[in-house]
Amino acid sequence: MSEFAIEASQLVKKFPARPGAGSKTEATSSKRKRWPFGKREPKPMFTAVNGVDLQIKRGEIFGLLGPNGAGKSTTIRMLCTLLEPTSGTAHVNGFDLVAQANDVRRSLGTLLAGERSIYWKLTGRENLEYFAALYHIPAAVARQRVDELIERMELKDRANELVEKYSTGMRQRVAIAKALLARPPILLLDEPTLGLDPQAARRLRELIAELKQEGHTILLTTHYMEEADQLSDRIGIIDTGKIIALDTPEGLKQRIEQKEVIRLEVAGWHEEIADKLKSIAGIENLISRQQTEADVWEVNMQAHNSRTALPRIVEHISGNGTRLVNMNIVKPSLEDVFIHLTGKALRD
Amino acid sequence: MRSEMSIFSSLGKPGILSEIQAFIAITRREWTIFRRYPSWIIALLIWPLIFPMMYILTGRALSGPDGSGLAVFTKTTGATDFIGYIVIGTTVWMWQNIVLWDVGFSLRNEQMRGTLESNWLSPTWRFSYLLGHTGPQIISMAMFVLITAVEFGLLFGVKLHGSIWLAALVMIFSIPAVYGLGFAFASLVITLKEASAFVFLVRGLVMIFCGITFPISLLPGWMQSVATWLPQTYMIHAMRAAAFENASLTDLWPDLKALILFGIFWLTIGYLLFTWMERRARQSGAIGQY
Repeated sequence: MSEFAIEASQLVKKFPARPGAGSKTEATSSKRKRWPFGKREPKPMFTAVNGVDLQIKRGEIFGLLGPNGAGKSTTIRMLCTLLEPTSGTAHVNGFDLVAQANDVRRSLGTLLAGERSIYWKLTGRENLEYFAALYHIPAAVARQRVDELIERMELKDRANELVEKYSTGMRQRVAIAKALLARPPILLLDEPTLGLDPQAARRLRELIAELKQEGHTILLTTHYMEEADQLSDRIGIIDTGKIIALDTPEGLKQRIEQKEVIRLEVAGWHEEIADKLKSIAGIENLISRQQTEADVWEVNMQAHNSRTALPRIVEHISGNGTRLVNMNIVKPSLEDVFIHLTGKALRD
Repeated sequence: MRSEMSIFSSLGKPGILSEIQAFIAITRREWTIFRRYPSWIIALLIWPLIFPMMYILTGRALSGPDGSGLAVFTKTTGATDFIGYIVIGTTVWMWQNIVLWDVGFSLRNEQMRGTLESNWLSPTWRFSYLLGHTGPQIISMAMFVLITAVEFGLLFGVKLHGSIWLAALVMIFSIPAVYGLGFAFASLVITLKEASAFVFLVRGLVMIFCGITFPISLLPGWMQSVATWLPQTYMIHAMRAAAFENASLTDLWPDLKALILFGIFWLTIGYLLFTWMERRARQSGAIGQY
């Protein structure tokens, strides 16, 4: 048995471009007919995943991070056989993604679309019994397994109520129980804590850590950088369809350790100041976002030498209706690494 | 949360029995969800009356104040019970119409609900998802026919002059053609996202060409030729003969034979289109798009 639970080599996925699609479209050899003349012209294609290589070891949690549209969902959808790669190869649990798709499906527990992936007009128990049958679990084994998972997910008291009466967190727990039904060696969890309240999200992160302890291999995508940092053994950062960095969280942070991160809170922020700050020598990757507090913005930037840059930063910010509320020089976080590599915040 | 013992031997056991178990689970799920939307009871009571009533009242108005026009209708159609004649035609039309909406849009509804992908992630044979919709639909349709018979018997005094069993046999022989067409639609709908226009086209064709309220002998020659290519023509003809003309199995056999051939044709087309759609969806990502 290979030491890798998931191996992908040069995975590519192209889709027909939608009208008005931007710069990522290209003309390929795929042709379409122009009726009635019979002439053929190149069909514009959009490359969502562009040569992804992955080797995920058995028993590890692998975090796949990327901004919206980077290709992480397309990659997950290929790995769980919902999408066929345009080119490249991949093996999941030793099975070829295309030629042995059913064996791949048997090896996987997948959480996609969270609470929408289950039937709201069925009870939690009925949902699990239904999906157990789809995963070909014998009825007697299924009953026992469903009971185990209902207990584990703390759904026992409400297992016989319709899912439509559940909270988002409870629905997400049913969806995770569904993924665990067949006791698959590999779990694909796409944004598992999205939309959960902090307490429910924390409990779910604890569960994911437990599942790793039990030996599951987990491929996790998340928008929450702290979550990826806390849970992942290794992290792959994907942008414009390519893995642009792959390392342990600590390894990734070390890549920009020689840089300092300047974190400001500014009242009355506007884009002209951003342009001025970007023009300061040694300042890069400036990202600003409005805080919940009215008209106070958090501004992050990376600097080669904060001592020389700070006086000019203060000079540009003071006046013109802007006011510096707070300032820190901090150790780079995973989010700073992400910004350094992609030039974007994770939620962009 | 309690920790579990786990050694990763997948609990799933592939095989034909597992596929049958999955098919039964899909059917049970459909039936359970169907029962939990109580508005179906109202639809089931009202629709059998409303649609035929339109034609029945028009027929009564056209037959004149003394109803003498009905004699002309009897002469043309050979049917002594014009209400029964119309009810058979409209019921077949309703059946095909409901199948196009229910089975034809079944995968699309799952797609919009978000559950299609989670079904597709399992190792179950994917055509089972369509087949599984058929059982509950046939049960609800049988209830529809039964309620139609009871309502028109009680309210209009319509009585069968033939064999209820032969009429049921015609319905059973019609199932492959009716649902095969539904499967073909389901595959188109999930690809095109919107196929209401096709539903309107098919039910319009059935309404005009298959003689739901009149004998097709009244149609021009070319329209009669088109009618011979539609299975509903044979369904309506055989149902009327079985229910009201005391026809024997031998009398019905030509129609039943045609229905078998149409059934094979439409089931094959339905399966091929589904296979094509499934492959195309994997290439284009259409399953997750709504």
